[in-house]
Amino acid sequence: MEIIKTKGLIKDYYLGKVKVRALDGIDLVIEAGEFVAIMGPSGSGKSTLMHIIGCLDRPSAGEYHLDGDLVSALPKSALAGIRNRKIGFVFQSFNLLPHLSILKNVELPLMYAGNSARARKQQAERILDSVGLSDRLKHKPNELSGGQRQRVAIARAIVNTPSILLADEPTGNLDSQAGGDILEIFSELHRAGNTVIMVTHDAAVAARADRVINIRDGLIDYGDLAG
Amino acid sequence: MAISLAESLHIGVADIAMRKVRSAITVLGIVLGVMCIMVVLAILAGMNQSTMQWMTERGGLSKVEIGFNWNYDFRQGGEAKLSLSELRTLQSLIPEAKAFNPNISSWNTRLRYRNKHYGGHLFGVFPDMQVVENWYPAKGRFINDIDIRENSNVIVLGSKVADHFFGERDPIGQSVMLGSQMMTVIGVLTEKYWENPGGGGMWGKNALDYMNHRSYIPLSTMLHKISPGSKIDQVEIIAHSPEAALELQKKLEPIILQMKGGKRVFRVSSAQEDMIQMQQSAKMFSAIFIMIAAISLLVGGIVIMNIMLASIKERTREIGVRLAIGARRLDIFVQFMVQTVLITALGGVFGIVLGYAILDLVSGYLDMPMVANVNMIFTALSVSVGIGMIFGIAPAIKAGNLDPVIALREE
Repeated sequence: MEIIKTKGLIKDYYLGKVKVRALDGIDLVIEAGEFVAIMGPSGSGKSTLMHIIGCLDRPSAGEYHLDGDLVSALPKSALAGIRNRKIGFVFQSFNLLPHLSILKNVELPLMYAGNSARARKQQAERILDSVGLSDRLKHKPNELSGGQRQRVAIARAIVNTPSILLADEPTGNLDSQAGGDILEIFSELHRAGNTVIMVTHDAAVAARADRVINIRDGLIDYGDLAG
Repeated sequence: MAISLAESLHIGVADIAMRKVRSAITVLGIVLGVMCIMVVLAILAGMNQSTMQWMTERGGLSKVEIGFNWNYDFRQGGEAKLSLSELRTLQSLIPEAKAFNPNISSWNTRLRYRNKHYGGHLFGVFPDMQVVENWYPAKGRFINDIDIRENSNVIVLGSKVADHFFGERDPIGQSVMLGSQMMTVIGVLTEKYWENPGGGGMWGKNALDYMNHRSYIPLSTMLHKISPGSKIDQVEIIAHSPEAALELQKKLEPIILQMKGGKRVFRVSSAQEDMIQMQQSAKMFSAIFIMIAAISLLVGGIVIMNIMLASIKERTREIGVRLAIGARRLDIFVQFMVQTVLITALGGVFGIVLGYAILDLVSGYLDMPMVANVNMIFTALSVSVGIGMIFGIAPAIKAGNLDPVIALREE
């Protein structure tokens, strides 16, 4: 089953009055349950692609189907709900809210989904337990190590069972030991049936994925397949 | 559905608790503005209350007075004097009046009982004096219609006069000398007492004590036996209601003018009119202070808007994260709106508390009556919530309209 399908995806930016084409017609299919790495040098358009896949942004032209919905046709206001239900984000810099306990951080997507306080506490505790942080529930993010923080971020990303897990350089701010642990969690999630999409410029990290998609100058580069 | 208000409140409280000093500074203007409103309203209410009490004690708002017109230039002729027949005409023209009391007063009368003397203020009155002044005998009776008809030699004493002459003994039935006339004491009036909330001053604690030094005899006795040359230059009339008093005043003015041949020797005034004038000047006074408070609140609101805008700038990344994990623009809008309103409402509460403290301090110090009530708390609170809503909108819209991609890029 195709979880992601794009057709002729184009994204233009305006830098002042100059039009810059970030994506120049991306055709991409990702099957449910795949572990895909998106690679490319900076400026290649991979971040733009990730933003569109993550429904943080809309394409200038082209189609984007996510889990059967033509989300490129949806207005911006409808994207928040899609992000909440279908996408789990993991960022390079963790992006945890510093003044909230890790439990509250993980509860956030459930709160925006409208779950009751009790249900979301139970669910968040369960997920945090699964990433091995059940003894840190009341801690603030800055009381944890980088690896632990990224595990909280992963817990937050998967807490409301999204259709895809979208990770942007998830090991970029970690030492190799912690980075390896995080990649192992992604592999486990993949083995458990989750669709994982990871954006990276590190070939060693990309090597953990089933498939690597190379982006160059806003296009998929089929000539230089890695992995 | 946006996240619940309770959720936003929760976030708001946590944010405020985290940024205590900033929140306190943010809200300072509101605290001062609300405090100012509280104090002004309390002073006004206090003024109103004591004015009302004073008016009531002096015969109420239904009183109309015909009296000497101090603004009239008597070189143009005329005399501020009413004859008994003119009085009767006057009384017959206003059957709607509840009480009608012309009086003559004399300052330098000497009363004597055995070897004791008393120089007091003597009034010749109608029985209606009781209704007009809302003042009745504590002992014995007051002057009645028969006394008026018969020019009886009877006298009713104020409490201080009775004390001076008789002390503990019963004054009723005793005789006192008024000039060459022997007067029988038929009654003693209750003690008039009104504690001036402005704190005594030159009249001592009881602002109405001067009334306790008066004595009353029938108007006819005064005219025919005590001081035959004296003139009736004052009539007090009580209407059935303050509104009726205003109408009565309007009706009386042309009658009196005509009676005196077009000369404005008398002035017709009503307590209700005085009250309205007083309230108007109180309104002016309050308008000025409310304006000062409004300016302070406006400045406070602008400060809040600025600080909220800065706070949103600082929290751009947090907003980006919230948007990325599924917050809608409305959620973000509500979050910041609630937070602003919460801060201003808290400021309002502090303002009210501080206002009360200041009222306590100032009313003790100035010896001025100040009345605080629940209405003021509602006013102050709704004003501060209103300020939060008005000045919170722009920052909240700005926060809600942030682009998630740009917000997440913010360091």
